[in-house]
Amino acid sequence: MVHVRLFGMLKTLVAGVSMLEIPLSDGAQVKDLVNSLHTQYPDLGELLLQKKVVVSVNQEVAHWETALVESDEIALLPPFAGGA
Amino acid sequence: MAVETEEGMLVRVQQENFSIDQELERVRARSTRIGGIAMFLGTARDHSKGHDVSSMTFEHYEGMAQKKLKEIRERALQDFDIIEALVLHRYGPIEIGENIVLIIIGAEHRADAFKACQWCIDELKKITPIWKMEYTPQGDVWVEEHP
Repeated sequence: MVHVRLFGMLKTLVAGVSMLEIPLSDGAQVKDLVNSLHTQYPDLGELLLQKKVVVSVNQEVAHWETALVESDEIALLPPFAGGA
Repeated sequence: MAVETEEGMLVRVQQENFSIDQELERVRARSTRIGGIAMFLGTARDHSKGHDVSSMTFEHYEGMAQKKLKEIRERALQDFDIIEALVLHRYGPIEIGENIVLIIIGAEHRADAFKACQWCIDELKKITPIWKMEYTPQGDVWVEEHP
């Protein structure tokens, strides 16, 4: 099981929640998480597959092959809009 | 320890407003070699992509946002001929006309100060996990991207 934080507009795609719990098997990678999310939340999954939303692991942008463990800090990051 | 604290003050994500004079002085006080200071101040405007905006809220990823601003400062100090860089961004509710983001670069000469200042704000927009919600007459809108 991993915990996934959501930011910005992504919360509107999953009924306003800011954290998801996703069951994953041992040895899972980011791409497995994306597949799981795509199954449960198709709109969110599409944005991930199109790379409009990136996955961060322990506060660094991750690749699809990045391995995941339960204690990782995982977040889904929509396009940034800082500045003015 | 005192130096670390001062360096921490040069990269901040904070809810409260900031004083431009105080931040300018913070950079100026870092070295008497500074001969040129360039600044970018981003403020909240009342119009965006063809619609009126009444106010806005910034959300940030606590920890990662600070980390990215620190990276920006360190890369600016390494890649440009400058003496000091300050990078500051606010989060939470912000009213029209208020300060949002501040970049201040101290250098010996103006050319490097200008170049580094532009690079810092461009890089901030690219790599810093901060998001903006605008409140408009048509409803609340998460802003997706800025030029």
